[in-house]
Amino acid sequence: MSAVWLAARAAVRRRRLQTAVVGIVVGVCTTMTVVAVGLLAVSSGPFDRAYAQQRGAHLSVTYDRAKVTDAQLTSAAAWSGVEAVAGPFSQATVELGAADRPRGMPLTVAGRADPAGPVDRLNLWNGRWATAPGEIVMNENPAGPGFRARIGDEFTTPDGVTLTVVGRAYSMSRSADAWVTPGQIAALNPSATQLLYRFAEAGTTSAMRAGEAEVTRGLTGARLGSTSYLVLREEAAREAATYVTFLIAFGVLGLAVAILIVGNVVSGAVVAGFRHIGVLKALGFTPTQVLAVYLTMVSVPAVAGCALGTALGNVLARPLLSQAFRNLGAEGIGVPLWVSVAVALGVPLTVALSAFVPAMRARRLPAAEAISAGSAPQSGGGLRVQRWLSGTRLPRAVSLGLGLPFARPARSALTMAAVVLGVTSVTLAIGLADSLTRYQRAEARSGAVQVEAFPAGGPDAGSAGDEALLRAAPGTRYLLGSLDLPVRQIGNTDQTMLRLYKGDTAALGQRVLDGRWPSAVGEVAVAKRFLVQRGLSIGDSFAIEAGEGVTRVRVVGMVLFNETETIIADWSTAALVVPEAFPDRFEIQLTGGTDPRAYMDALRGSGLMAVPPEGAEQFVVIVLVTVTLLTLMLAVVAALGVFNTAVLSTRERRRDLGMLKSIGMTPGQVVVMVVTSMAVLGALGGLLGIPIGVAVHRVVLPAMADAAQVGFPSAFLDVYEVPTLALLAVAGVAIAAVGALMPARSAARLTIAEVLHNE
Amino acid sequence: MTMSDEGNEPAVVQLSDVRKEYGDAVALDGISLRIRAGEAVAVMGPSGSGKSTLLNVIAGLDRPTSGSVVVHGDDLGRLDEKGLALFRRRRIGMIFQFFNLIDDLPALDNVALAAQLAGVAAPHARRRALELLDELGVAGRRNTYPAQLSGGERQRVAVARALMNRPALLLADEPTGALDSRVGEQVMDLLLDLNQIGQTLLMVTHDERLATRCASRVIEIVDGRVARERTLERA
Repeated sequence: MSAVWLAARAAVRRRRLQTAVVGIVVGVCTTMTVVAVGLLAVSSGPFDRAYAQQRGAHLSVTYDRAKVTDAQLTSAAAWSGVEAVAGPFSQATVELGAADRPRGMPLTVAGRADPAGPVDRLNLWNGRWATAPGEIVMNENPAGPGFRARIGDEFTTPDGVTLTVVGRAYSMSRSADAWVTPGQIAALNPSATQLLYRFAEAGTTSAMRAGEAEVTRGLTGARLGSTSYLVLREEAAREAATYVTFLIAFGVLGLAVAILIVGNVVSGAVVAGFRHIGVLKALGFTPTQVLAVYLTMVSVPAVAGCALGTALGNVLARPLLSQAFRNLGAEGIGVPLWVSVAVALGVPLTVALSAFVPAMRARRLPAAEAISAGSAPQSGGGLRVQRWLSGTRLPRAVSLGLGLPFARPARSALTMAAVVLGVTSVTLAIGLADSLTRYQRAEARSGAVQVEAFPAGGPDAGSAGDEALLRAAPGTRYLLGSLDLPVRQIGNTDQTMLRLYKGDTAALGQRVLDGRWPSAVGEVAVAKRFLVQRGLSIGDSFAIEAGEGVTRVRVVGMVLFNETETIIADWSTAALVVPEAFPDRFEIQLTGGTDPRAYMDALRGSGLMAVPPEGAEQFVVIVLVTVTLLTLMLAVVAALGVFNTAVLSTRERRRDLGMLKSIGMTPGQVVVMVVTSMAVLGALGGLLGIPIGVAVHRVVLPAMADAAQVGFPSAFLDVYEVPTLALLAVAGVAIAAVGALMPARSAARLTIAEVLHNE
Repeated sequence: MTMSDEGNEPAVVQLSDVRKEYGDAVALDGISLRIRAGEAVAVMGPSGSGKSTLLNVIAGLDRPTSGSVVVHGDDLGRLDEKGLALFRRRRIGMIFQFFNLIDDLPALDNVALAAQLAGVAAPHARRRALELLDELGVAGRRNTYPAQLSGGERQRVAVARALMNRPALLLADEPTGALDSRVGEQVMDLLLDLNQIGQTLLMVTHDERLATRCASRVIEIVDGRVARERTLERA
């Protein structure tokens, strides 16, 4: 066994407490890093793998078949940048009805002879492909939340064509909602033709734009719409990206705290171990061997903590990743091996680097000076502060405690930095929680909408009397009726809902983030994600296919809204699509003092069913839980940093503490002094950490909103009010006080006789 | 002088059958002792005889296994940790072989600290500390940190701190043990002067010269028992 290992092992055993602190801190921070980096690494991985496997279309373009022939399309697709092309496939928008579903969603149905091909190779995961007229294959995600059809189900088109489901396939390119044979599609009155392209260069938006320009050159008049795979990819990674933003923020904070604490532990060990260093050198250890002893001493718990943290990070990341990528059917997805390996190697290396500077001090220390350490005179500003404090009116235990941090300014600075980061985390977490809650409440219109009511007979059972009944009901203050109609944006296969609002929109409608609320026929408002994913802006118009007609609508506003596939319009627009309809859902705000339960009970038997509004969205709940857990972890880590410093300080000052007790300092005064010495760092840490946390909140939250493509009002960033800030200022002191309490109590119990007579 | 021939003067220290054990080791084995106000008593004995343990139980730094310790009317066995701290603050002044000054505080603040802990305002505490440093001849070094003071100066500062709260009993543990002979003489003179103006003094020492010069009574302890007592005529 080498002398270095022997000495390092002895040092680890002698400093059990600090060894444990390093191990725990590194473990916690490694866990956070594995989760953050893992999520970042796989945020687009599952999509890319699955998309490549299916040879998904980089670009899907829909053309008006009245304006372009298949031959023209095939000719245009011969551009050299096109790697592969599938189609032309005839496409029809068909409203399929069934016995139990009289008004079905309009589906995009394409005519394809088989599921294979050079582009968009479908995953036929259930049943078989349509080979004869009257057969249909539905596009269903095998991991999707619910299915629209089962094998053997029969649907009927408005023209009376009956289609039987013979298979279920999945297209990641979302090229169609269902497929029939090319022969069958002709009977469904196709209005469009789709072509699916794979490009040699498709990594960037500009490359995609260039490719689209080339393949539609001369065909722009016939182009109805297109979908880029980059949009699908972004959508797939959207939820993960939202997690990644704040996980990275917390991961960086965690690593920074770990580095500070490890630096603090090692510098403390160097200072406390001056005599030990002197003895090692006197025994014949070379300066480099002394350096190695100190680095090994820290690396042992760091490696152990890192191994445990990596394992725990993998365990914790799994449910997060599954949640983030559930739409791709990515159940059971884990952190890539390279992430675990990189973190398992990188974190101990970072720890060793942070230990390097204080260990170098041990290396340089002359043996004679080290052996005679402890009597070096002190000087400088720190002592002037202590002098000044001793003259103040503060109780002496308090003024002594306030002065202690100035005796070791470097250590105090490291401890304070750990507290700063701890307070920054708490500030960020409280801000995130508050902002997300405000967003959630605004989105759900919590407080505004107190009761929801529906016609008891189902979605199509609304009548003109419903609205009048609710208006007349005692306790109704504001009433907003709505009706959802399935529509199709021309050129896009995503199913879209047109929601028509009637009533008190100013009081109960969604919050307008940009533009204005739609008030005239043909005006609509949508969520930010709708605009982003479809490349639209306020003022743009697009065509929707509703019922049997095509209507052009114009976007006049962007609203705070999670239902990203829904278009909001004023009731006047109903005249264009369903002139004879009535609202089938009502949102109600009650007059002050009205009991919602009593109001809902009173509606029983009226033909309306009343229920309380829906609860918080699952995603926000998950984010809040994750943020809370991470904050607790970081606060614990910061408190451990303070704990470590307080332990070091108490041990170094055993003789002083014994002396103070010998001249009459009570145990309570000892506790006050030690806790004060750390609380002052906590208070200063709080004062610095709060503005940093507020600033990080202002960066992270908009980044999260951008990643999620959510419109986020800047007013929701202004969450820090005076009571919150006061609470946060207390957080720093609390972190420090909790960390210092145990060493303080231990100091108070010191046996004076032992301390003062062991010179 | 023994307990049997004690006079009627009030006792500052009264020990009755005090026993102190550390595991199987017996440090004090049934010691009874009485020290009157104004006395200067030296406790001598070989290493490990129990001298320092005796000093610690009298100062309330350590508790006896059995027996009673009464100092200036306070029965230490009845005091909790806080009570003992207050007792030390009000009744006891201590001087140590290695001074035990706080390195981070200059001499004046080291001395004033004892009074400030008792709640005396900083200006008053500093004024009193300066008077004491002046009386002990180190007022000129009041702003100097312990590490920059000589051994004799450090011990004078330590004595000033011990006297700060006007203690009923001054305890000294090898007060000249870390000093050269010349400085040791100065400290002896200082202790003698203090005793001559009425300060009760109990010192633990190996130094026969210190004992004969400063003490009026010497108690020799061997194996935790009082082996011999002798009264001295001071020069």
